Amino acid sequence: MLQSESQDEKTGSAKSVVARRLDLRQYVRQQPVMLALLAGVGVIFFLAVAGLSRAYHSQRDALGTRWFSRGMADLSAQHYESAVTEFRAALLYSRDSYAYQLNLAEALIGLQRTTEAYSYLVNLWERQPEDGVVNLELARIAAQRGQTSQALRYYHNAIYAVWPSDEEGRRRDTRLELIEYLLSINATKQAQAELIALEENLGDDPSLQQHAGDLFLRAQDYEHALGAYRVSLKSHPRNQKAMAGAGFAAFQLGRYPLAEHYLQEAAAADSSDTRSASLLKTTDLVLRMDPFRRQVSAVERSEIVREAFDAAGQRLTACGSAKLPVPADASQPSLADRWQKMKPQISEGALRRNPDLIENAMDLVFAIERQTSATCGPPTGADLALLLIAKLHEGNQSGLGSEF
Amino acid sequence: MDLEANSKAEALTDQVSTEKALDQALTNKVLPEAGTDAHTDIPTTGLTESENPVTARAANGRSPKALLKSVFREERFFLILSVFIGIYSGLAVVCFRFAIAWCRLYLLGSGAVLSPTRLLLAPSLAGLAIAVLVIHVFPQARGSGVNQTKAALYIYNGYIPFRTAVGKFITAALAIGSGHSLGPEDPSLQIGACLASVLGRQMRLSRDRMRLIAPVGAAAGLAAAFNAPISAVLFVIEEVIGRWTAGILGSVVLSAVSSVVVMRWFLGSESLFRIPAVQLERPSELIAYSILGVVGGLASVLFSMGIANLRPRAKALPQWTQYFQPALAGLLIGVIAVMGAPQVMGAGYEAMDEAMHGRFTWQFLAVLAGLKIIATLLSFVSGTPGGMFAPTLFIGAMLGAAVGGAEHVILPHLTGSPGTYALVGMGVLFAGFLRAPMTSVFMVLEVSGNYSIILPVIVANTIAYVISRGLQPIAIFDTLTRQDGLDLPSMEEQREEGILRVEDAMHAVDGPVLNAQETVDQALAELEKSTAEEFLVRLSPSGWNSVTRQQLKTMAAEGKGGSALAALLPIRQIPPLHPDLSLETALRYVDKWPLVPVVSRADFRQLEGVISERDVLERYREFGEG
Repeated sequence: MLQSESQDEKTGSAKSVVARRLDLRQYVRQQPVMLALLAGVGVIFFLAVAGLSRAYHSQRDALGTRWFSRGMADLSAQHYESAVTEFRAALLYSRDSYAYQLNLAEALIGLQRTTEAYSYLVNLWERQPEDGVVNLELARIAAQRGQTSQALRYYHNAIYAVWPSDEEGRRRDTRLELIEYLLSINATKQAQAELIALEENLGDDPSLQQHAGDLFLRAQDYEHALGAYRVSLKSHPRNQKAMAGAGFAAFQLGRYPLAEHYLQEAAAADSSDTRSASLLKTTDLVLRMDPFRRQVSAVERSEIVREAFDAAGQRLTACGSAKLPVPADASQPSLADRWQKMKPQISEGALRRNPDLIENAMDLVFAIERQTSATCGPPTGADLALLLIAKLHEGNQSGLGSEF
Repeated sequence: MDLEANSKAEALTDQVSTEKALDQALTNKVLPEAGTDAHTDIPTTGLTESENPVTARAANGRSPKALLKSVFREERFFLILSVFIGIYSGLAVVCFRFAIAWCRLYLLGSGAVLSPTRLLLAPSLAGLAIAVLVIHVFPQARGSGVNQTKAALYIYNGYIPFRTAVGKFITAALAIGSGHSLGPEDPSLQIGACLASVLGRQMRLSRDRMRLIAPVGAAAGLAAAFNAPISAVLFVIEEVIGRWTAGILGSVVLSAVSSVVVMRWFLGSESLFRIPAVQLERPSELIAYSILGVVGGLASVLFSMGIANLRPRAKALPQWTQYFQPALAGLLIGVIAVMGAPQVMGAGYEAMDEAMHGRFTWQFLAVLAGLKIIATLLSFVSGTPGGMFAPTLFIGAMLGAAVGGAEHVILPHLTGSPGTYALVGMGVLFAGFLRAPMTSVFMVLEVSGNYSIILPVIVANTIAYVISRGLQPIAIFDTLTRQDGLDLPSMEEQREEGILRVEDAMHAVDGPVLNAQETVDQALAELEKSTAEEFLVRLSPSGWNSVTRQQLKTMAAEGKGGSALAALLPIRQIPPLHPDLSLETALRYVDKWPLVPVVSRADFRQLEGVISERDVLERYREFGEG
């Protein structure tokens, strides 16, 4: 019994030794060593792949660059179709290249394939939302699609974005483009605000100031327009376009003597400028037919009033009394009745003696001109001048010459 | 060939198993097995060694040798090996990608517009070369690689010859690079699985581990190919392994992550596709995506029916035609390309990218989707090695963008971009054709890096999956394995297989339930009205035991009639079951106790029913009879 136990013990011990050896071989010698070997082979494999990778990437970079340069050449030559193909080929070798995608988008825009261009640009925008070029292109596409709020957002992004070169210039140009866009959609108030912001950064550059003046005019901000033209004229006093613009702005502001000055200069500098000539004629009439201006003698004033009264009467006749609206209060006389009633009183002597008559006569003249202008279409000549004088003395100085 | 491989694998793993058993016995002396400690009954699952008081105590008194041994226990070693598998697979996949790119460059040219001569000659001549290689040198390289990996798991104990990886690498690179309409993902999956198998064999893993190693490598290969670790893990779980098990999940995740890290090291971390964030302004827009789901589901059925019908016919053609089938397929694909659709060649990722950027009209996109189905059918049916993932994504992307484009024409206010629809389309085809619904959702998220698209993807994928499942009950991978004469488990069928639960077999208590405080005489009196022989005894304060009428009578005869049952019954209690447990769990107990109580999870004293061995077997018999 004891012997058998001892034998069992010995067998157990032998088994244990074998097991331990196996164990040692398997876990201490084999697995760690194999793992080390695996790591070693892995490192060699890694280095080999790194070498291959370098060769692979350099080849692809070279191919990408080659196709990209061809694309750029075609893009600058406006061969958009070829440029698109070449940029696509370049993208095969560098799918995520920002420059390749951006130029592909530019070429696509050149081909009017805005949907494609848009999706590339949006992706680029998500990568670099501060990129000025991308924002500007997106703004243009949004504007083209009539997506006003998006267009404004991208334009504003572009104005404050990062530009690769001439940052100030690109921002200014973008703002000018934004203003053009705002004017095209009749958002004049927003355009005025943008113009005021723009003006602060324009400096004294005459051509830029003139451009700003033109935009201010289109935005119906005549005061700023006049200011911009004046700055422009300081540097280039003989700039006909600036003079014409300044004359127009002054005319709209009701500053007729100043308008006369600029318009005379403009018409003299360019005889083909019919608009300035026409405005000058109206300006002269306004200046001549205004009975309330200073330094006019009583005789002269009486003569002006009489002439104005006659002109209003003729306008009334030409327009036709029937067309004019009947006064709301039936007991009130019509304009024609009032004119007829006042007509006998209008004489040089009476006008000279009675300043109130001048006032009353001119009130009637202004009322007739306003009414006929509303009913029978825009006036011309003396009627237009009288209407402008009416507006001038009402204190309504903005858009005096909206007829123009 | 297969038998030889199998016997080799068995011989190897048997040897390893013997050593492992010895090791296991030794290990148990020093360090208790994870799960339970035999001496203390302290559950140890889920605790690390340092956290576990028992193992920590054991480790403190261990020699360095023992410590080293504990570090290299197989399950831990398997995890370390998974990282290496991931690294190796990642490196192999990177090389595979380089090979495809170089083949494309030298066979088709470097530009975006390719010459017609090359378009016709490259795939045809490459097809001839591939046929010779596949017939004479690498016969295992045929097909996509997914089923071969499944076969390694279920049939060959994880054995995949190294030659398969080499063959797959060369032939698939040549095929895809020359313009055959196939993708690199499935071959990458197989290359990864093969490398894992080779490493596992070198490390002399046990049979169990060897079986699991192929999916670990497959996940690594797929993750690196897609740059999508989550999708790869899900695909392997969903389509290869078929179940979630903690034992394998850690290894699969580790290998997938490490392979992706390696791949990103060399090829960058950008997602495969990039689309702007999706703004789903109105929930009603989901209807538009649902339509895509329907169209995608039908296209999936068409595609899989094409493969299922044409593949056996092509295989049945005379042997000599096998040499020319890939070449003919290549020539026809070249003709399609020359006719104006070169986008169908190769994996087609560039074309997908362009479709997402709105390059094509919706009509042309629809044509491209149709032509790609034809081109892929030609390539795959001809036996050219290469994957179906990329063509599936291509068809889905084109179809998605086409449906989106058409819907935009009808309903211009829809906000989805072509890229959005293309991405959703990819997921739709993936769900419908490959029948991997979960993977399809995550795949779209990962390849786009865009989470905002999740709702449309889920809706459309589900619809496509349901349609495809309804019209084509057998999934494409299962069809292919059956055509190859293999009987691999169908993951889809497994997923949908009903599980029998305890509640399906239990029955109501048909006798009185005794209380442990009752005396034997009281119990016998209570049982007089009942005809049952077995009775449950409710213990105090909780727990259950059972007693037979005969036992009670014997106790009474022995003069123990006045004693309480609690004092007379054996201390061992019956472990109660719950109605929701699987019937397999019940099987562990019903042979030890004639009657097992089924109790509420909320109150262990509340009896829901009882279950016996007979009930369980009866239920299984009924289930088997259908």
